Amino acid sequence: MIQVAGKQIAWQEGMTVSDLLETLNDRHPYAVVRVNEQYVTQPNFEHTLIPDDAEVFLIPMIAGG
Amino acid sequence: MPDYNLKETRTLEYKRPDVVKGYTDQTLYINLSDPQIAIKPVEGKTKKTFIGGKGYDLWLLWNAVQPSTRWNDPENALCIAAGPLGGTPIYPGSGKSIVATLSPTTGSAMDSNVGGYFGPYLKFSGFDALEIQGKSSKEIVVFIDGINQKVQVFETSGLPENAYELSAILTEHFAQGKPRNISVVSAGPGAKNTLIGCLNFTWYDPKRKRARYKQAGRGGVGTVFADKGLKAIVACWGNVTAATNAPADKDRLKTVAKKHSREVVELDPKQNEMAKIGTTHLVTIMNDHDLLPTHNFRYGQHAQAPNIGQKVYRLLFDPGFDGCWMGCTVACSHGIKDFVPLTGPYKGKKVFVDGPEYETIAGCGSNLGIFDPHTVAEMNFYCDAYGLDTISVGTGIAFVMECFEMGLINETHTGGLDLHFGNRMGALELVHQMANDEGFGKIVGQGVRIMKAVFAKDFGADPEIMQDIGMEAKGLEFSEYMTKESLAQQGGYGLALKGPQHDEAWLIFLDMVHNFMPTFEQKAEALHWFPMFRTWFGLCGLCKLPWNDVIPEDNKDTPEPAKVMKHVQWYADYFSAITGSESGPDDLIKMSEAVYNFQRIFNLRMGFGRREHDAIPYRAVGPVTEDEYESRSERYDKQLAETYKVDIDGKSTAEKLAALRKYREEQYEKLKDAVYKRRGWTPDGIPTVQTVKRLGIDFDEVVELLEASGVNS
Repeated sequence: MIQVAGKQIAWQEGMTVSDLLETLNDRHPYAVVRVNEQYVTQPNFEHTLIPDDAEVFLIPMIAGG
Repeated sequence: MPDYNLKETRTLEYKRPDVVKGYTDQTLYINLSDPQIAIKPVEGKTKKTFIGGKGYDLWLLWNAVQPSTRWNDPENALCIAAGPLGGTPIYPGSGKSIVATLSPTTGSAMDSNVGGYFGPYLKFSGFDALEIQGKSSKEIVVFIDGINQKVQVFETSGLPENAYELSAILTEHFAQGKPRNISVVSAGPGAKNTLIGCLNFTWYDPKRKRARYKQAGRGGVGTVFADKGLKAIVACWGNVTAATNAPADKDRLKTVAKKHSREVVELDPKQNEMAKIGTTHLVTIMNDHDLLPTHNFRYGQHAQAPNIGQKVYRLLFDPGFDGCWMGCTVACSHGIKDFVPLTGPYKGKKVFVDGPEYETIAGCGSNLGIFDPHTVAEMNFYCDAYGLDTISVGTGIAFVMECFEMGLINETHTGGLDLHFGNRMGALELVHQMANDEGFGKIVGQGVRIMKAVFAKDFGADPEIMQDIGMEAKGLEFSEYMTKESLAQQGGYGLALKGPQHDEAWLIFLDMVHNFMPTFEQKAEALHWFPMFRTWFGLCGLCKLPWNDVIPEDNKDTPEPAKVMKHVQWYADYFSAITGSESGPDDLIKMSEAVYNFQRIFNLRMGFGRREHDAIPYRAVGPVTEDEYESRSERYDKQLAETYKVDIDGKSTAEKLAALRKYREEQYEKLKDAVYKRRGWTPDGIPTVQTVKRLGIDFDEVVELLEASGVNS
């Protein structure tokens, strides 16, 4: 299981950030998510694997300095 | 401890007024030439029009100077203000001071905001703003003692030059055993010997038992401070509570403050973790999106960028509470304990580094081709201690390094320094030279605009290529974001009143990543609303981070998520609760619009406020060199072929580069047209008479200036 925005979601072998966002059916255009302490950006969503037991945070917006 | 002396030369004893609804309704005036200390009332119309903070600063500055005044003339004023909401300890991000003066690098009004305790302590001592005019041949310390109700001017000798030691000594000297009551403003030798000096504003860290500091960095405000003969300004105040601002509605204040404060506590750990890692998370995020400036803004990515990203600084930062204002739950002002510099006067000694933040990492790291977190920390430490702006230092040295790599300058000009990108010791040496007024650093410390002129005149460097790659506009060095692929952010920088700083509008993600504003009109609307709302923080003495760097979980379902309207409404409630002036989100924009347009007209008064002055170097708009083009050839070829319908078959890179430039420069000009129209300005970028009347800034002097500039009703 992984935890996403406070909810438990079933983890699957080979699950990427893109896979997770599709599962969530959340139409917000996330540009960044955080997997534990690792910031993952949209260009890397497709090839970033999520480990089991990870905590995933959806970063709503990047607002700059 | 050095053997120093403070000789009192002037004292004003005064009766401290009560703060009422966030205001004291008076300002403190000090002329260093006489010296003279006076208290001036704030008129009702001034309060209504200029609100406070940056607004008050600009009004005081406008009245202090003439169109002919230059930055180092005695009549130039250095103004510092909090704002009506500044000093509230229960609302996150409520401790900002705003500095304004005529800038040594732009020649016009400069504003720079900063954390630390000074602004609130100044206000609670009885003054909404401080205005300093005149110059002293002696080194001066000003002490504003709100507890004992006196202002003192001291001539000093024997105090250390650098802000690191000076802050500690003056905190101890004036604290009477209560160091938390003290905030020190100081510059340093770098500020004295360059045009890009910053000011350090302290806050006392009781856990680490030391004076920490934040910087008002931009536009040489520290240089003006040092030129006036100021060594330091010290404010002293005691206990601060939610009642100290005497809010109009304390219960309403507590309710809204609690909501925002709790939200930050709950959501920051789930979002950007600023309470742990500050703004360092931005390094790899920008890098992944091709937005991290590397090698003087040539490129937006580098494989080694993670070496200076949040993973590393997470380990280097000393854990603990790091709020630059009391009770701020964002608490992002992190630092590195027991850091040992490899160079300079502190070589081999343990010091505390206040920082780095994202801007310093990008400016003194990636933009110089330096991907070593310790070098960035050392640059950060010395820039602060010397009173140098890390952004202008970074962007300035990046320009020098590219000139060196291009062969525009060489070791004969640099005093033997090898200044290829990535030369860590070379970059550090330049920082020391700037502070010591030595060698090639003397030229670098003049800023990019003057460097371009000196390199052309004295070294025979090609002025055209330097115009393209020298990253300054209006005389101010760019802060650290790539704008090539975001037309909206080109406007965010190029149309910013003081020069290219990101504190007016940061639209890169909305424009480039999300494509939320495809039309000129949408970009223009964003370049109206965002600068106006962000200006409001400067009027009130607030930090913008709690607004849109911690986002409500339901924000994405709102009609305009980029504006974070839930928070905007909270800020309107906050303003209403403190001042008693019932205000909604649109009122906040209107407050800013008056001051914003006034500042534009101030630029005009100083000879700089027209369309031509909103020009930006082509490096900010598109690829200057063939290497840059080829590094993103797929993107540029596609844009030429699909968007601009150019037949690129058989064209050389040089030909495509020229074609792209023509179109991109046209786009930027069209953007200016759209933004000027939206802001109620003429096609030459000047507010119309109707606009100034609508905003209530149609003072005689303003209308006369507009008429003299060819703008008639």
